[in-house]
Amino acid sequence: MKQLSLLIILFTSLLSAQENYTISGTIKDVNNGETVFGASAYFKDTTTGVSSNEYGFFSLTAPKGTYTLIVSYMGYTDYSKTIVLDQNQSFDIELTENSTQLDEVVITSEESEQVSIKKPQMSVTKLNATTIKQMPVVLGEVDLIKSIQMLPGVTNNGEASSGFNVRGGAADQNLVLLDEAIIYNTSHLLGFFSVFNADAIKDVKLYKGGIPARFGGRVSSVLDVRQKDGNNKEFALTGGVGIISSRLAAEGPLYNDKGSFLVAGRSSYAHLFLKMAGEKNSLSFYDLNLKTNYNINDSNKIFLSGYFGRDNFDFSGNFKSNYGNLSGNLRWNKIFNEKLFSNLSLIYSKYDYQVIFDAEQLDWVSDIKNYNVKYDFKYFTSPKISFDFGASTIYYEFNPGEVKPTGDDSSINYLKLDQKRALESGLYLNAEHKITDVLTAEYGIRLSTFSRLGGQTLNEYENNQPVVYNDVLGVYESGTAIGETVYKKDDEIESYSNLEPRLALSYQINENSSVKASYNKVSQYIHLLSNTASVSPLDVWAPSGKFIKPQIADQFAMGYFRNLRDNSLALEAEVYYKTVDNRIDYIDGSDLIGKNNIETQILNGESRAYGLELLLRKSKGDFTGWLAYTLSKSEQRALGGNAGGPGINNGNWYNTAYDRTHDISFTGAYKWNDKWTFGTNLVFQTGRPATFPNGQYQYEGQSIASYSERNANRLTNYHRLDISAIYTPNRKPDNKLRGEWMFGIYNVYNRKNAASISFGQNKDSGENEATRTAIFGIVPSVTYNFKF
Amino acid sequence: MTTLAKYIFLVITLTFMSCEDVIDLDLPAAAPRLVIEASLDWEKGTLGNEQTIKLSLSKPYFDADGITAVIGSSVKVTNDTDGTVFVFIDQNNGLYTTDSFIPILNQSYTLEVIHNGDTYIAHETLMPVVDIQDVRQSLEGGDDDEALDVTIYFNDPIAETNFYLLKFKEQGDLFPALFDLKDEFTNGNQMSAYFEKFNDEESDEEEFVSGDVVDIQFYGVSQQYYNYLHILIGQLNSGGGPFGSTPVGLKGNCLNTSNPSKTAFGYFRLTQVVQTSYIFQ
Repeated sequence: MKQLSLLIILFTSLLSAQENYTISGTIKDVNNGETVFGASAYFKDTTTGVSSNEYGFFSLTAPKGTYTLIVSYMGYTDYSKTIVLDQNQSFDIELTENSTQLDEVVITSEESEQVSIKKPQMSVTKLNATTIKQMPVVLGEVDLIKSIQMLPGVTNNGEASSGFNVRGGAADQNLVLLDEAIIYNTSHLLGFFSVFNADAIKDVKLYKGGIPARFGGRVSSVLDVRQKDGNNKEFALTGGVGIISSRLAAEGPLYNDKGSFLVAGRSSYAHLFLKMAGEKNSLSFYDLNLKTNYNINDSNKIFLSGYFGRDNFDFSGNFKSNYGNLSGNLRWNKIFNEKLFSNLSLIYSKYDYQVIFDAEQLDWVSDIKNYNVKYDFKYFTSPKISFDFGASTIYYEFNPGEVKPTGDDSSINYLKLDQKRALESGLYLNAEHKITDVLTAEYGIRLSTFSRLGGQTLNEYENNQPVVYNDVLGVYESGTAIGETVYKKDDEIESYSNLEPRLALSYQINENSSVKASYNKVSQYIHLLSNTASVSPLDVWAPSGKFIKPQIADQFAMGYFRNLRDNSLALEAEVYYKTVDNRIDYIDGSDLIGKNNIETQILNGESRAYGLELLLRKSKGDFTGWLAYTLSKSEQRALGGNAGGPGINNGNWYNTAYDRTHDISFTGAYKWNDKWTFGTNLVFQTGRPATFPNGQYQYEGQSIASYSERNANRLTNYHRLDISAIYTPNRKPDNKLRGEWMFGIYNVYNRKNAASISFGQNKDSGENEATRTAIFGIVPSVTYNFKF
Repeated sequence: MTTLAKYIFLVITLTFMSCEDVIDLDLPAAAPRLVIEASLDWEKGTLGNEQTIKLSLSKPYFDADGITAVIGSSVKVTNDTDGTVFVFIDQNNGLYTTDSFIPILNQSYTLEVIHNGDTYIAHETLMPVVDIQDVRQSLEGGDDDEALDVTIYFNDPIAETNFYLLKFKEQGDLFPALFDLKDEFTNGNQMSAYFEKFNDEESDEEEFVSGDVVDIQFYGVSQQYYNYLHILIGQLNSGGGPFGSTPVGLKGNCLNTSNPSKTAFGYFRLTQVVQTSYIFQ
């Protein structure tokens, strides 16, 4: 009997232990009401903890009891509150910044360290706008894309190239999202500056691997950029005046304090000075960011955000070009209950360009558009497990090109390349599961489908070969078209579906260190056609279909993570191995411009990349910054396959243009006193692979270079040192205007880094020469930033 | 159209603080190979019986010594239909000549070269060309509104796909400017092509002025030769630039039947050509 009562007591205590309650809420910044993404909320001295999602929402479930709730976020004072957990409860939490200096240095790791050691998510870095603004930059233009290149595993093709490369992947393999809208071209002025205005950006998260199941569509990385919501406490103006451009952003409360807005604009004006100086050529850019949100009630919130950017080129009035992105997003956050958070998004984005070529009297336009519906849920089931699930559909319209003659004596015929349409959908489920106190797993699955829609005509080729190997000459040539298939608008040309498993594990060795491993499979259905060393803004996107297969990536990664010296230093070491199937490669002499039948110029290839990344980061104290080292290899090959023959480059593996054996970056900021902060960047990279001649011969009265295998040579090593100083003048406490001067010197020792090396004959002497083009020598700059 | 990207790069480099300089570079050197420049060009209105084929050897890229002429080889061309053989006689200076060649439009021919025991074979067809309708100079044409250019006009035949090679050479220049043209976007239209020079301190290039003379040669070429030229000219103009195509090894049509991996550089082409000169006013 005694035993039975003991059993009953034990059982009831177990039962009561099962009596869980939930607290939930939104974490915000006390100064401006911006929601905080990635803050950690946990009960002190327990293992119950979560991090806030993209909208600042968190939910914690624990057995009935009394707890101390701690909310922490790097750069902010910890929030602490005693909670008597005897019922479900919901409240908002406001965090206070450590210091209210404008020049404050904040470098956050992905989450505040306490959680990041435990979380299975790896290969990810989060930067906030403050960090990005701190780094020395060319011409004083704050640049998100350049900042992420200081991280291990991220490079680009030199100073005159668009986009960036992650873990040996191509620029089109990055999913770049601005408030969830796809951005097709991340660069202004061909890669000199990025399209993201730092005044409008809240934070940036880059996933290099272990890509969560809620993302899909690009095989190398996800760059998730979030715009600020706008200050909902008071009206504020921020801005800056620089050498190249000026910025102004206004934000403030709206709708009787039930919402807020942000408007940020930026425009270059250097071209005006050039015009005045008699320069016939000009180039310029501007962009505009908009955001507003409205709180319907505690559990319903609406966001509207938009971006518009444009570049303009004018070459002596004869050659003009303009291009840019446009995007808009309407979102509805709904909190169903303490445990279930949802977000519905309607998104539109577009990239287009126009080229006006007076000498040829032609006008060329091209664009890509998409409409996207997304519904995402997060369900905080129990202290041990939480789920993400959702669905998305993207409808694409591709207009690869339309050529119009612009004059009566133009020799150009009107031409409109085939419009293409496609539908890409995704369905995903992801669970984060705390298996034991030290072992956490994240497992997910994404089902992606892609349907290439009709409404166009496709060629039929002899022997089904759009490309044929000419075994007499040893070259690849276009196949012979023998007919056409007309696909009606409601026909489906081709469809694909892929199951993409995602898995991540973390094992905590002790309080300060953990090991993690991850695997992801990702499919990519649209591809940027580019056969040049650097991606240009005039390259065209093409959907998968009858001839182009989806790219499929598999990536394995393992890592060791350790916090040192009371969490002020963090060490991350990762190795990865990645393969991509169906990577498009281009036959020798391929011509992509104005081609309806791109399939006659390409072969389906593959690529592989592997590497080691080390990151040592100091995020507390007067000196902050990081040192990154990457040792890596990135190769590709394309076998002849259906086209016959050995393949491109004789079917041998060759270096991709973004292969960098060594890549060392150091970035640091030192706060000397309240007035002065100094920053520096130091970069060393193995030179970009290039193809050099291994001989010459006389033909047509000229010296012709005979080139060796693709990318068998390298440009000289790239290295550079930048420094900056930020001066914040004293201000009276009642003066609302806070200003700062930012002085910078880019490429201090004036290294002539080769953007390219070209080969040719000197027109006077006839001798062969190697000519190096270097873009930026030493560039000083000064910028004034203000906040009001 | 392919020049677009180059223009953009030009804009960028002009506007920004970019700089170009000639550098020393160590390059790998491949073993020498035979170069066959068999350009049998038949000028409209002539007999076209006198033809020359040049044989030489390739050499390291920065080797500034003269051409290594190849002597002692056997060179002949055969009319594929009637089997007429034209033997080219070794002039002992790398040139092999004949004065008995009979050009026939749209006729296919075979070249055979025997060099050091290796036999090289190439097949090609003699392509016709239309006449140049007009040659004019202007300021407005070309890329720069303030620089003189010379433009040729011709009528592209609508019945077939045509490919052209165009050479402009200012008298006194070391080498000509080459252009490859096709009628992909302009079939059946009056087509034009211009040649313009810019003032450039670095290369000492100067804009055209009154009195300058430009020699113009306009060839009809086969599609296969066009493909070859397109790569060759593209690489001559922008070999290695960031928006140029990745340079590739050029493969001509002179195959080595004895040792297939060692094809010859150069090409066996047969063209009809019209030529003219223009004196700037």
